[in-house]
Amino acid sequence: MLNFKKIRLMTKLAVYEKKEGKEDIYLSKYYKTDYVRFQILKSIISATVGYALILAMIALYKMEYLVKNAVSLNYKLIGTYVLGFYIITITVYGLGTFLIYSIKYDASRKKLSRYFKLLKRLEKLYNDSDQES
Amino acid sequence: MLPLLELRERVKNFYQRYDMYILPVLKFIFALIVFNIINKEIGYDAKLKSLPIVLGVSLLSAFTPSAVMVLLSAVISIFHIYSVSPILSIMIIVILLILYLLFVRYTPKQGYVLLAIPILFRLKIPYMLPILLGLTSTPVAIIPTACGVIIYFLIQIIKTAVTMQTSISVEDILQLYTYVVDSFIGNRQMIMTLVVFSLIILVTYFIRKMSFNYAFEISILAGGIISILGFLISFLLLNKTNQILSMIIGSIVSTGIVYIIHFFRLTLDYSRVEHATFEDDVYYYYVKAVPKATVTLSEVNIRHYNVKGTKRREFSEPDTDDTDPYDYEESEENEDN
Repeated sequence: MLNFKKIRLMTKLAVYEKKEGKEDIYLSKYYKTDYVRFQILKSIISATVGYALILAMIALYKMEYLVKNAVSLNYKLIGTYVLGFYIITITVYGLGTFLIYSIKYDASRKKLSRYFKLLKRLEKLYNDSDQES
Repeated sequence: MLPLLELRERVKNFYQRYDMYILPVLKFIFALIVFNIINKEIGYDAKLKSLPIVLGVSLLSAFTPSAVMVLLSAVISIFHIYSVSPILSIMIIVILLILYLLFVRYTPKQGYVLLAIPILFRLKIPYMLPILLGLTSTPVAIIPTACGVIIYFLIQIIKTAVTMQTSISVEDILQLYTYVVDSFIGNRQMIMTLVVFSLIILVTYFIRKMSFNYAFEISILAGGIISILGFLISFLLLNKTNQILSMIIGSIVSTGIVYIIHFFRLTLDYSRVEHATFEDDVYYYYVKAVPKATVTLSEVNIRHYNVKGTKRREFSEPDTDDTDPYDYEESEENEDN
């Protein structure tokens, strides 16, 4: 016997699992701190690589100047600049990632709780039909 | 207005019925345009321009997520440039890597924007994309838009840099590199385009968010006006008066296109048909869920395949839903067969 209430519920669940739920369910494996920390780590690494590449491009661009004045350059000043900008970049990316992914995680948790509510309702439906038969 | 609304309804029905096939076909056509334009703009390698490769790559992009298409077009462009100047291709790889690591990886769902901007520049209507993004997305879309603009101007620089005589001496390489960086950083048109595009996205977005009648339509119009004014100022500053006419026409056409998209968008957005498969202890279900146009509740349409010779099964009473969720006649037909 086809139970339409059940089918409607299962359709809703299946559609959710297939689309937006995929990511939510994947996220539910992590604790919030773990997830956000992992994302921060990833974005800091990628920002570091990007920063290094930009630095390399600038260095290559100023190559002639650098080679000519290799002896008289103020390496300490250059070092502080490079490091300072690096710290600023990392802070901006780290903070931004922290904020965005915390919000994202909370939102996905909210959606997931709705999903679990529907699951529970489905379970109840199953139990009811078991009792009837 | 009435025939237009009828047309919209017809498009919606068509889309609902065949959406499984329409999306890949649209993606295929888009990919075909993308790869053809890449071949036309920087097609230095004849091997990559051959029809089987273009068709194969487009077909691959049709069935994979947008990121794959972006990656493929980047790889193809790099190979094209590699065939004339390996050094230039390394520069391109580094610049693309920087763009990806610092910006693009945070907006993976808007990868299409990166490709669409250079292509729309080619078609002389790049102005439509920021208006459309302001209308449909958030100001975050500024990131992919800016990267798309940078990629477009990068391609322009590469096209002139390729014609420069280069040998493999270190000095020549450095000279080429300095030329690329100089024309990249000193490109005032690029910077102004970035500013105006960001402005269009912001203005369109904030007007759309306001709560008065016709906010959407007014925001489209405002986007178009900002585009005309902004580029008018930038072209006058850069003394490129010969481009003004095509810019104004392009902006007006873009505004029109965005309006047409907006007209169809709401219905198409909400008429997303879902196909779901699941099972319970007794049945396998192949469900096509069609959202109702006005209500958010899904109408569930069940097709029932009976094995020959079995008796018709019993059904429980359909619950509160007043429409007939079960297509009864269809299953009777199936049984007759």
